[in-house]
Amino acid sequence: MKKFNIIFLLIAALSLQAQSQTDSPTFLGQTVFKVGYYGSLLFDNGLNVGAEHVWKQKQKIKEKKKGQKTITHQLLFNGSIGYSTNFTNQTDNGLQTHYGLIWRRTGSKRWQFNLELNPLGYYRAFLPETYEVNGDEVSEVKFPGRSYYAPSVSFGIGKSGKGKRHAGWYLNLNYTSRMPYNAGALPVFTIQYGHRFNLKNNK
Amino acid sequence: MKTIILNKLSIITIILLMLGLFSCTKEDINLNDLDETIFVRHKNADMPAYIHGNGAEKVFLVILHGGPGGNGLAYRQNTFITEIEKNNAVVYFDQRNSGNAQGSYSEADLTVDIMAEDVLALAKVLKAKFGADAKLFLMGHSWGGALGPATLLKDQNDFTGWIDVAGAHDPKGMYDNYKIILKDIADEQITLENSVQHWQNTLETIEDVSQNFNVDDFFRLNRAAHAGEAKLEEDEVINKSQSDVGDDFVLSNPITNAYNGFGIINILSNKRGLWENVSFTDQLSEITIPSLVLWGKYDLIVPTLYAQEAFDNLGSSDKDLFIFEKSAHSPMSNEPELFADKVIEFINGH
Repeated sequence: MKKFNIIFLLIAALSLQAQSQTDSPTFLGQTVFKVGYYGSLLFDNGLNVGAEHVWKQKQKIKEKKKGQKTITHQLLFNGSIGYSTNFTNQTDNGLQTHYGLIWRRTGSKRWQFNLELNPLGYYRAFLPETYEVNGDEVSEVKFPGRSYYAPSVSFGIGKSGKGKRHAGWYLNLNYTSRMPYNAGALPVFTIQYGHRFNLKNNK
Repeated sequence: MKTIILNKLSIITIILLMLGLFSCTKEDINLNDLDETIFVRHKNADMPAYIHGNGAEKVFLVILHGGPGGNGLAYRQNTFITEIEKNNAVVYFDQRNSGNAQGSYSEADLTVDIMAEDVLALAKVLKAKFGADAKLFLMGHSWGGALGPATLLKDQNDFTGWIDVAGAHDPKGMYDNYKIILKDIADEQITLENSVQHWQNTLETIEDVSQNFNVDDFFRLNRAAHAGEAKLEEDEVINKSQSDVGDDFVLSNPITNAYNGFGIINILSNKRGLWENVSFTDQLSEITIPSLVLWGKYDLIVPTLYAQEAFDNLGSSDKDLFIFEKSAHSPMSNEPELFADKVIEFINGH
């Protein structure tokens, strides 16, 4: 009986959630795409593309002397994929994906603060010519590389475009942990700078 | 219709030609001017080997970096680029859990024994890639001078010669030897009235450390040795360190390097008792390949006392010892021209 109660409550919560969104803009309207630089500027550089979808949003309107001040808090689903390399000696080439949530505060002057938590992250290192040695046997590895679990956190600032609620630019500092890396977990710090854009604009 | 088919065919042909060109570029190795990064995969570690220089004669100088936790490319400077790479190819190798080496393994896989096997794996890869007739010379600097003997004692058949540059063949003995060399140099410099206060502080440090081995005190003495060498350079007792990294210098990610470096030095020092239990002195006699021992007269980091000990104990009948008068722990930086002359002379002589 207890199980049925829990299931009922879950379904009720989901249906309430669904009802509250019936008046919301379309799925695409609540989704922004982003493209930008990611890397450490000096040691490796790359490109990152992704999407964010608004899950929850709250707006607070404060009455000030100069007029109304609107502050928006959003919780967004986040997914991105990027490739970075150190070009020269190819010891740090890899594909990185992040999946998680973003909390974003947008002030009345459109400045934003972002906090990203990506518990689901994956990094695939691509290696150049690689030879595996087992005993006396030496063989060339086909498509050499190595996979790592790579959760990450980011924080940073941004600004939404004029009249475009979800679009704008962002600048984040990202910390990713690649694990298991050697005999531990490798800390990786990167900068993410890019632009978000809507395919369908919802003001 | 015919035109469309011809157009499509020509596009496909161009793509195939381009792919062919790229694949040719990868395979064509210019032995006269090698510039390659390959990885060696061994026991769950992927370790880069940066190969540079003249490989026409298939002579390779494999460098084992210091540390533990240094990196191979740190040695690619001065006369390594301008002289040694012109004479033969140089293989700058990042050891397990060092430099840009990666992989997934447990702390149990970080031992001197497995690291020595990694070097033998590198030797096998070089022979598989460049031919069984490739001649390999092994050079170990500092900690690399402990890993070198560990490797050669397992199997020296793949190597034509061994170059020991200020190598720590007796990590266990360094604690006591630090106290001796630091006191000797401190007394000498105080007599010469060079940086008197600094050397008096060094004497106090020696008095202050415990009589028996203690890992914290070991690193206190190690830091005193580094500081002492810097002071000797400042007082022009030794030549100023040179570090001309050339035009194609590659900046490695310092966070990755530092993370790996701290990791391995912590494990080898604290969990494997490297500085307390490990010594190859008694086994050096089993190393019978031609050997060259190079040391700086003012080496405080791996005390110069080790130079004669290494030379006396090596089992080779073809061995030589050279002391650089104006150098400390890194003669390749203090006297790069003379260093290159000695290395090239040894390689070409064998």
